[in-house]
Amino acid sequence: MTTSIKQLPDIEQVLSGNGACGGCPATMALRIVGKALGSNAIMLLTPSCSVASMGMTPKLGYNWPAINICFATAGSSGSGIAHALEIMQEKGRLQGEPPTVFCWVGDGGTYDIGFQALSAAAERNDNMIFFCYNNEAYSNTGVQRSGATPRGSFTTTTPAGKRQPKKNMALLMLEHNIPYVATATVAYPGDLYDKVVKAKSIPGLKYIEILAPCYLGWQFDMPETVQMSRMAVRSGAWLLWEADNGKISFNNPSSLIISGKKDAAPVDEYLMKQGRFKRLLKGPDADQRIAEIQGDIDREIAFMRERAKITF
Amino acid sequence: MPKVLMKGNEALAEGAIIAGCRGFFGYPITPSSEIAEYMARKLPKLNGVFVQAESELAAINMVYGGASTGQRVMTASSGPGISLKQEGISFIAEAELPCLIVNISRGGPGLGGIQPAQSDYFQATRGGGHGDYRTMVLAPSSVQEMMDFAVTGFELADKYRSPVMIMAEGTLGQMMEPIIMREPVTKLPEKPWAVTGCRGRKPNIINTLHLSAEYLEERNHHLQNKYTSMALNEKRAESFQTEDAELVVVAFGLMARIVKKAVMEARQQGVKVGMIRPITLWPFPDEAIRQAVNSAKRFLAVEISMGQMIEDIRLAVAGRAPVEFYGRIGITPNPEEIYQEIMRIAQREGY
Repeated sequence: MTTSIKQLPDIEQVLSGNGACGGCPATMALRIVGKALGSNAIMLLTPSCSVASMGMTPKLGYNWPAINICFATAGSSGSGIAHALEIMQEKGRLQGEPPTVFCWVGDGGTYDIGFQALSAAAERNDNMIFFCYNNEAYSNTGVQRSGATPRGSFTTTTPAGKRQPKKNMALLMLEHNIPYVATATVAYPGDLYDKVVKAKSIPGLKYIEILAPCYLGWQFDMPETVQMSRMAVRSGAWLLWEADNGKISFNNPSSLIISGKKDAAPVDEYLMKQGRFKRLLKGPDADQRIAEIQGDIDREIAFMRERAKITF
Repeated sequence: MPKVLMKGNEALAEGAIIAGCRGFFGYPITPSSEIAEYMARKLPKLNGVFVQAESELAAINMVYGGASTGQRVMTASSGPGISLKQEGISFIAEAELPCLIVNISRGGPGLGGIQPAQSDYFQATRGGGHGDYRTMVLAPSSVQEMMDFAVTGFELADKYRSPVMIMAEGTLGQMMEPIIMREPVTKLPEKPWAVTGCRGRKPNIINTLHLSAEYLEERNHHLQNKYTSMALNEKRAESFQTEDAELVVVAFGLMARIVKKAVMEARQQGVKVGMIRPITLWPFPDEAIRQAVNSAKRFLAVEISMGQMIEDIRLAVAGRAPVEFYGRIGITPNPEEIYQEIMRIAQREGY
């Protein structure tokens, strides 16, 4: 059974006084992650919204020891800490439960510039949780496209809408043969919480990607973050799944879409709610462009359905 | 040409387009991102190419590829991103490929902050990456110069087959001023060295690996000769009321405009003070400084850093006058505090 939101612990690792936007999905997700990780953790932050909004240093709005690192190298710096902790444990200088090392990185720092370091850390299976909070653009620098930006989306560097589809990053991480991969989003906090609790108990590299609808980049009304997150899942644009040692299982409600018990909602309504697709939807070829986006979603659903059947 | 109101970053981007730049390779970073955004909007309409790379490393190496075909191409970033580009810039310098690299600079070290700074001076003027090379560095002080220097930058890059850098404080990138537009450059130089396919001719080779020690040394002599020629011909500076100045303030970029106001106010109080603004940071305009030493009893370097250009001023002055320093970082000194500093020195020294 998925943990209900009422059962989440009261502890807060995200304190008041941080500089995030109202309705910020990354901060919302981090709050839930904090409840699952507790205070015995070390946080690594790359240049991103979460580092820009963490508070006015030397004060910090996050209640963890935190390290601000280079954009390209969350995986590397996480590895450095993980190995140092192992040595300290071996030498008996670190007693009791070792702290959880976790990277808190945006989609730019995961899909693009940070991919090499993450891939290498995963190949070494270094002991950390790598979170990607994916708002599908470089929102911190004024919304430029990233490898996670979906086809058709407007950003300041794709003024006519992005032409390429996004990468399936979670699947790429699965193919690194790491012990645990999961996707989540803020509309399903219990699902996210359970996945983080599970990841914490597994040694090696765990990858958790959280879809984070950003009102600024996606251009919807600030209070609708959770609603957008839910619509992404119901339309199949975001699939909730996890993989233990390579074996994929889907979580509700994505499992119903995958099994065919429930149809994914047509993508139209999800797109209409977002200003970033507006130019596309007003154009003369709107039907064709929507069909392309629907095609990307249908292909991913079909592909992941088949990929999940491969187990060893 | 008509006057238009433009943001510094956009003026620079438009200047590059006017110069015939048709390839931009970038990666987001505050406070330079508007250059990439402007190019993303404009270049596709001009049969040009805009690519948002996956990293600064990728962006500079796209410039390496683009420049090797003889096209006018560029990239823009800010401190942390320029650091990541250094390996590529070293390769481009040795491969002798003309291109424009823009640093809309902010405060460091580390991630630092997004406030304007001039603390990348050492990085810009000393080569920045590995090996014996220099990059010509232009420092604009107005939005008009952001546009003009983009054109000049491409001309100098082609003239010397060398990467050229424009370094401007973040403020210059972000602020708006009315500027006079320029006519587009229509005639671009021939580039017989370009890698464009070799049907009917011998292949051109662009290479930076030299396994023979003798040839490596020969290549370095070749580059040094080129840098000597740049130093002979391209030093640029603006001198303001230095003829009779007992105190000469040296500042570059937007900082120089702020200093100029303070100098004018101090002159009104009867203080014999002048200003030198290096326009090329490398080659450093040491002759302008040396000329001023004849009348000046003292120099004052004003920088938005902890003191970097002051080393070049001291080298130029060569011990003939003391050089003092006033600098802040993250916070741009205002005219009032520069004026106070000038008056403090003037009163102390009895100028």
